[in-house]
Amino acid sequence: MNKTAIIFSILALGCSLQVQAKGGDAEAGKAKSATCAACHGENGVSATPSFPSLAGQYSDYLYHALKDYKSGKRKNAIMAGQVQNLSDQDMADLAAYFSKQKGLSIKY
Amino acid sequence: MKHTTMTLCAAMLLTLAVPVQAAGDPQAGRQKNSMCAGCHGIPGWRTAYPAVYSVPKLGGQHAEYIVAALQAYKNGERSHPSMAGIAGSLSDQDMEDLAAYYASSYSGPAK
Repeated sequence: MNKTAIIFSILALGCSLQVQAKGGDAEAGKAKSATCAACHGENGVSATPSFPSLAGQYSDYLYHALKDYKSGKRKNAIMAGQVQNLSDQDMADLAAYFSKQKGLSIKY
Repeated sequence: MKHTTMTLCAAMLLTLAVPVQAAGDPQAGRQKNSMCAGCHGIPGWRTAYPAVYSVPKLGGQHAEYIVAALQAYKNGERSHPSMAGIAGSLSDQDMEDLAAYYASSYSGPAK
C-alpha cells in the first residue's frame, strides 16, 4: 500500500466518522433511552400531560433542546439533571431515535 | 343541620364564582392560530435566528405542555425572539384555546 492510499483511507475514515456524529444513530439512541422513557413514555408518547411527547418530533429540534438544557439556556430542573452526563453523540442518537417514532404531526 | 346546608351551598356557589381558567376550546383555538401556522404548520420549516433548526411539530402534543411552553416564553424563562413576541400577545385563555386545538383531533370546520 503506498502512502497516498493510506492518506486517502484516513481521510475517508475521518469523513465517515464525522457524518456519524452529526447524524445520530437511532439504534444507539434506543439503547440510551431507558431513562427518558420513564417520563416521556416508552414509545415517546408521554402519559403525563406536563411532559411533552417526543415521538415523531424533528430530530434537529430535539437535539437543539437537549443542547440548550445542557448549556443552561433552557431551564428545567428535571431536564438539567438528565442531560448532565449526555455527550453530543448521545444527544444526537436520542434525537434520532425519538424522531423515528410515530406520534406528533404537523398541524396547520 | 340548616347551618351545614347553607355552608355547603355557599361553598358551591363560591366555587362557581371563582374565575377558574376555562378549559381550552379547540374551535376557538383554530380561530386564533394564524400567527402559529406560518411556521408550525409548514412541513420542514426552520427557524433562522438565533439558530437554525426545525420548528417543532405541535399536532398531538399535550395541551398542558403547550400552555407551559407559551407561559415560559411570555415570562422570559424560555428565550426565542419570535416566540417571546407572539406569546407575549396571548392571554391565558388564548393559550388554553391554542393548546386545546393542537392537542385535539379537530382540524377546522368541515368544508
